[in-house]
Amino acid sequence: MKTRKLNLWALFWAIVGLLYFFVPLYGTLDFSLRMERGRLSLKAYQVVLSDPQFLASFRYSATMGLITVAVSILLFLPTVYWLHLKLPQARPIVEILTTLPFIIPVIVFVFGLIRTFSGPPFHLTESAFTTDILITAGYVVLSMPYMYRSIDIGMRTIDVRGLTEAAQSLGSNWFQILFNVILPNLRGAVLGGALISFALVIGELILGDFLVRPALGPYMVQVGRDAAYEPAAMAMLSWGLTWICLILIQFAGRGRGSAPQLTGR
Amino acid sequence: MSSNQFSTKFVAIVLLAVLVLTACGTAQTSAPSTPESSLPTATAGNQSIPNTGSVDWSTVSSVAAGGGMDALVAAAQAEGNLTVITLPRTWCDYGEMMDKFSAKYGIKIQDVNPDGGSADEVQAIKDNMQNKGPQAPDVLDIGAAYGPLASGQNPSGPNLLAPYKVATWDTIKGNNDASGLYYVDYYGVMSFEINTDVVKNVPQTWSDLLKPEYKGQVGLPGDPRASNEAAQSIYAAAINNGGTLDNIQPGLDFMKQLAKSGNLLPLIADSGVIAKGETPVSIHWSFNALADKQTFNGNPNIQVVYPTGTPWGGYYYQAISAYAPHPAAARLWEEYVYSDEGQTLLAKGFCIPARFGDLTSRNVISADILNALPSSDMFAKAVIPSIDQLSTARAAIKDQWDSVVGLDIKN
Amino acid sequence: MAEITANPESVKVVKKVRVAPAVQNWLGVLPFFLFVIVFLILPSTNLFAGAFQDQQGHFTLNNVKVILDPFVLKSYLVSLQVSVITSLLGGVMGFFIAYAITIGRAPRWMRAVLMSFSGLAANFGGVPLAFAFIATLGHTGFLTGILKHICFPAAGGAQTCPFDIYNAGFNLYSVTGLTLTYLYFQFPLMVLTIAPALEGLKREWREASQNLGGNTFHYWWHVALPILWPSILGSSILLFASAFGAYATAQALTGGTIYLVTIMIGAQIRGDVLNNPNEGYALAIGMVVVMAVCIVVYSLLQRRTTRWLKS
Repeated sequence: MKTRKLNLWALFWAIVGLLYFFVPLYGTLDFSLRMERGRLSLKAYQVVLSDPQFLASFRYSATMGLITVAVSILLFLPTVYWLHLKLPQARPIVEILTTLPFIIPVIVFVFGLIRTFSGPPFHLTESAFTTDILITAGYVVLSMPYMYRSIDIGMRTIDVRGLTEAAQSLGSNWFQILFNVILPNLRGAVLGGALISFALVIGELILGDFLVRPALGPYMVQVGRDAAYEPAAMAMLSWGLTWICLILIQFAGRGRGSAPQLTGR
Repeated sequence: MSSNQFSTKFVAIVLLAVLVLTACGTAQTSAPSTPESSLPTATAGNQSIPNTGSVDWSTVSSVAAGGGMDALVAAAQAEGNLTVITLPRTWCDYGEMMDKFSAKYGIKIQDVNPDGGSADEVQAIKDNMQNKGPQAPDVLDIGAAYGPLASGQNPSGPNLLAPYKVATWDTIKGNNDASGLYYVDYYGVMSFEINTDVVKNVPQTWSDLLKPEYKGQVGLPGDPRASNEAAQSIYAAAINNGGTLDNIQPGLDFMKQLAKSGNLLPLIADSGVIAKGETPVSIHWSFNALADKQTFNGNPNIQVVYPTGTPWGGYYYQAISAYAPHPAAARLWEEYVYSDEGQTLLAKGFCIPARFGDLTSRNVISADILNALPSSDMFAKAVIPSIDQLSTARAAIKDQWDSVVGLDIKN
Repeated sequence: MAEITANPESVKVVKKVRVAPAVQNWLGVLPFFLFVIVFLILPSTNLFAGAFQDQQGHFTLNNVKVILDPFVLKSYLVSLQVSVITSLLGGVMGFFIAYAITIGRAPRWMRAVLMSFSGLAANFGGVPLAFAFIATLGHTGFLTGILKHICFPAAGGAQTCPFDIYNAGFNLYSVTGLTLTYLYFQFPLMVLTIAPALEGLKREWREASQNLGGNTFHYWWHVALPILWPSILGSSILLFASAFGAYATAQALTGGTIYLVTIMIGAQIRGDVLNNPNEGYALAIGMVVVMAVCIVVYSLLQRRTTRWLKS
């Protein structure tokens, strides 16, 4: 590795990114501290945290987020791998399908889910557990554009065929190829998709609401709809907590200290 | 990442996937049916709901017909749940109403989509027809135009509502459906919600809003093409600028002037931006403005102004879904909302309850609650449109809002 | 595109001769298609069928005709315009930031912050995002306030305040403001999707380019860009779609005065006044068609440009 020299161009853009992220947040933060007239205080935060339901709903959403990430990796990793290896001609179809969740209004999607799965023969909405299955499927659909595309873009940067043939010649089965050979080479890409998908589930509002599950988004609307300062405090708290989770996921995904190995070697 | 760690994770993942995929498998075999309009009457089947007696509450149209209040309470408690929809806790003090109802009868309430509008409520009934879960709404609180709409009267279509007349039916004042499909819940008048920390010279009339001093300060409660409250503010402006109940055009012209002068801010004036001071002059129903004033508690200071001129009154309906999974609880809820206790809670939340006349004549509402409401004089003067007039106005807004407010793309 | 249409038939033809491999190839993506059909297509078509029904449930094409309404056509154009602008700007910005946190070797903590926060920011939207920008760049925003007070003495003893942005014609509640706000979730999306591709660039390539006498420009133009190009295009279509489908942010920020097609759809499906869900569904199907066309164009473009860049 070369010795580090300061790259001003890179530093400039990193600072632009940091400013763009945090300057607007300061607007919300400042407002959230003004619940008491004429001085800064944490009162809004006290109000928010005094309801145990806030953290409980965060926990629910975080759990659903992890499950969603796991299911979508399991679903999209083999699919994208297969598309690159055997079916490149099907990629445009898959691309259109995976973009649909952006385009179909979520409200249409959730009412469609309810209409399709609430009645006979599924009755998925009648118990909390089956509703959770339904909502997980919904979250996986919503995270599909991000997860699919992250993995797809990552897959473009590695030599799928070469890696596969090498692994096959060493006697690996499909499962081993996917998870012991391909996945480690796609860490960065899968991680990117996972970060977005996890945060998506935590911030999601409409699915949790209309399926009546104790998720964070609906809770925040329920409690904060007509308050002024508490929604700002809740937003700051939920962003902070989500961010902590994302940092943890990032560490878990990256492995400790190791530079990412993305190229097939 | 070691492959050992990975396999443990993997097992968990696979278990989940199996669950999801089994669901897939069954889904493949049978196409779901959509009985959209097959159940036009109030007799939607709810046989699977446990009933204490032989009474099918989904078809009962008054408490007496169902065997009396005790029978209703027992049946509702056996159901144990109630799903309400689109009831913000601060709107008319519905939060306290739900808490007290739950405590009194031991019935759990789910509040779906508190931030939504009437259209969501109607759509939720349609898409939950077969659903016995907590997602299907039992009772509705809908904008005036949605009474006829949800009951299939205007435009004609399937009826989604179950007729029911509460014990206090005779004292409910307003444009109620004669058969009890929908009935007035509460009234409000259109008001200005002023953040007096920002605005020192408080506007008193609609035409005051056009003054240059309010440049970039006037906000509407929503997009008038989407929000009933915002649409009615146009109507209120019309009435005070030479319009009539049958002619909303002056209101649209007024908004055009407001937008042209730069006074109208296009963002949606909700509590956050009002408190921030971004829309220090916002147009709202009196009950929402007064609730904000109470919630903000002096930070910032809010003054609620009833603009001089003709007060504009509006109202909302209650109704029971014909497909309610908890038909007895739904009926018990209505009895509670229209009881003296429930009506007083609405008044406490700054809404003028539908049984206001009856309640005041018997001095049920305490003086401090009464004083916070718009004066009864003003309420008596208020102009309230008929349903037909409302639909005409809606059509005019629909056709003209785009051009009247000049939705051009400015950079 | 030719390949897509040609393929199912060719599968059928092959079937008679040699069944196994072709069918096997499609079997590999079967779980995905099953999932999408069951949990996305089926539920959505269940409602979208309404696009071809009147309020009473009878078949009609009237709802689809609404797309030809001049206002509606304009709304598609405005949506396209906003999506293209924000995905280009967001793409460029995100690319450089991704560069900074990968091969640019910005300080380690900046990399960690930018990477993880991107996941969060890519999902920002709706009222909270709109509020953050209102509290920052609105009339009463804190940044607006700070900028307003940066003044310099001007000729004649007067003062000039060049950064009084509202005097200078800036307005948060306009397409400009909307673009700034959209960028908040657009560029992080680019960062997250393009960073792995940048990491994939091998140091040896750069060294080889240098050894052959190439400068930085040569390396980027002739070596890195052709390699990255498919990934860049792939990311931009994601950014484009994410802006094209965005709704809640614009609604909260501009109350529907910017004519986005998603806002039209929202007003039709959920609104209390327009409220003709079936027309809303028709408009949404229109969006699906537009998106499909974009992706097909993108696929063609990708194939062309990749070939051209490699030559």
